[in-house]
Amino acid sequence: MNKVINMIHIRVYAMLIDIVGSRSIEIEGGGKTVRELIELLDSRYPGFKKELEKGFLILLNGINILHLKGLDTEIKDGDTIVIFPPVGGG
Amino acid sequence: MFANWGKFLRVNLTTKEIKVETWDEDLAKKWLGSRGLGIYLLLKEMDPKVEPLSPDNKLIIAPGPLSGTSAPTGGRYNVITKSPQTGYITFANSGGFFGAELKRAGYDALVIEGASEKPVYLYIKDDHVEIRDASHLWGKLLSETQETIRKELKDENIKVAAIGPAGEKMVKFAAIMNDVHRAAGRGGPGAVMGSKKLKAIAVRGTKDVPLADREKFMLAIREKINKLRADPVAGGGLPKYGTAVLVNIINENGLYPTRNFQTGVFKYAFEQSGEAMVDKYLVKNHPCFACPIGCARMNKLPTIGVTEGPEYESIFALGSDLGINDLASIIEANHLCDEYGLDTISTGGTLATAMELYEKGLLKDAELGKSAPPLRWGNTEALHYYIEKIAKRDGFGDKLAEGGYRLSKMYNGEEYFMGVKKLELPAYDPRGAEGHALGYATNNRGGCHIKNYMISPEILGYPKKMDPHDISDDKINMLILFQHLTAIIDSAGLCLFTTFGLGPDDYRDMLNAALGWNLSTEEYLKIGERIWNAERLFNLMAGLDPVKEDTLPKRFLEEPMPEGPNKGRTVRLKEMLPRYYALRGWTQDGRIPEEKLRELDLLPLSK
Repeated sequence: MNKVINMIHIRVYAMLIDIVGSRSIEIEGGGKTVRELIELLDSRYPGFKKELEKGFLILLNGINILHLKGLDTEIKDGDTIVIFPPVGGG
Repeated sequence: MFANWGKFLRVNLTTKEIKVETWDEDLAKKWLGSRGLGIYLLLKEMDPKVEPLSPDNKLIIAPGPLSGTSAPTGGRYNVITKSPQTGYITFANSGGFFGAELKRAGYDALVIEGASEKPVYLYIKDDHVEIRDASHLWGKLLSETQETIRKELKDENIKVAAIGPAGEKMVKFAAIMNDVHRAAGRGGPGAVMGSKKLKAIAVRGTKDVPLADREKFMLAIREKINKLRADPVAGGGLPKYGTAVLVNIINENGLYPTRNFQTGVFKYAFEQSGEAMVDKYLVKNHPCFACPIGCARMNKLPTIGVTEGPEYESIFALGSDLGINDLASIIEANHLCDEYGLDTISTGGTLATAMELYEKGLLKDAELGKSAPPLRWGNTEALHYYIEKIAKRDGFGDKLAEGGYRLSKMYNGEEYFMGVKKLELPAYDPRGAEGHALGYATNNRGGCHIKNYMISPEILGYPKKMDPHDISDDKINMLILFQHLTAIIDSAGLCLFTTFGLGPDDYRDMLNAALGWNLSTEEYLKIGERIWNAERLFNLMAGLDPVKEDTLPKRFLEEPMPEGPNKGRTVRLKEMLPRYYALRGWTQDGRIPEEKLRELDLLPLSK
């Protein structure tokens, strides 16, 4: 029986696009918190975390994580995360 | 008096009389200046029931106490008049360089009355004021108008505020443009200027604005400039991406109005975003007078060369709201609106109304004229074709020139007009931010975003992140605070983007140092409350019916958002409005009771 692995879909904007080299990424494995995801992205794309130092606007399935559990919000398989640096607010 | 001159210019275009009049510190402590001074003068001198396009309407053009100083963004001005589009007050705000120049010429306001028989323009050089013939300028576009005036007066440093063909033809949403590309747009002040046959105001000012405590002022503004530079929006996002930085943010939050607000998610948003603009067409950013932010865009297209803009609002209005993805066409259309002198938000909103009427079969091809491009969603030709037709009131353009509300009535499709008090809504679907929605319904200008920009707390997180779907008293009190604080920032002559970095206390510091006052933040906000209530009073006296008009289009109250993060949402306006009135000390039918008028010293103006 083949196990279907769901990805987390990530879209990034503004300066993050240059850091990542792309507007969107797919990553394996839910169960991470947003904080852990950022660490992972920073390890793959150096400078990622620094862009979020002064603030961030992060949406989980369209909802701002500040109204969920902030950086401790858990991400599930199939979720969409959208990350903005604080260019328009955060 | 410091910062304010205590002087304004009254020009009667019927009698050609020019007078310098004074106003005093007591009045300044009540109204601050600019937007505040404007509503005071209109209430005192004019019957709010006047016909907006008649010689009886007054057009007030006013910089503020901090305009022309080195306060960060200290160069803005307001145009206060009765709007021919809404029939209520409008106070259109613009940046660039004209406002600072007018202030440095020595005037806190221009009060334009009556109407000229023939086209004229006003030339002000410090104390010299002259009404000059403008028959050779009538019909000219904005850049040619400015160039011609500068050549004629032999001064390349003259700053010009003018109308284009749209204002001359009294298009309901004609703008007054300064420095060619900066718009005092909403509510059709350009039409009022056109009705007076005033083509332009050319100004040269060489006086330094007197400050009460120069040292204290310079220390204060240095601190504020540093705060702005350190802020990630004012010192990061805005200079880098312009207001266009909002396209992706608002779209991902699910409230980017698409196809006349049918939905809040636009599939092609990225192509018209600030990020895309930087990669494709941006030459550089551009600041206004004394501005450390520098958010304006200088874009270059092979077709038109270098132009200024578009802003976020213009991108939505000429883009997603019409189902149009094509950024190059949007930039060109914005350029056209500037040259013809049109408010981009209402231009797009009117075309969007027309496109939905067309989609629903209420507006037929035959109406549009021979070979006219169909008003289909996404048809970019419509931008280039109809914008010119609107400005010239040519063919179907004559109907479009009346604005979306009147157009929708002509074709029995009132429910497809997305606006409040006949003013087309700006770039945020109210179903995605209910505090902002309440702002749309209660704003003194009609469907306006900027004078109560609740998107800041509800979506962006300034000054703090609020849940867009919370409708508690906390949210309503924040809206009221924004309405008052904005009135102060406008009246001071500063730009609202300073709120990305500065708070109410910061404005208090700059104003006290410049004016030589010792007011508390609360006292400044009280002035803001007075200004807001005075504008409301004007509207009530003009015939506003709150029960009918403090509302939102049915779409937002009854049709759930079809997709995206706000799927299923409608605006719970009925739950918020009564509490808004109560928190303002108003009656439950939206009127200002005598106690409130007395408290704000508005009783004499209410008779």
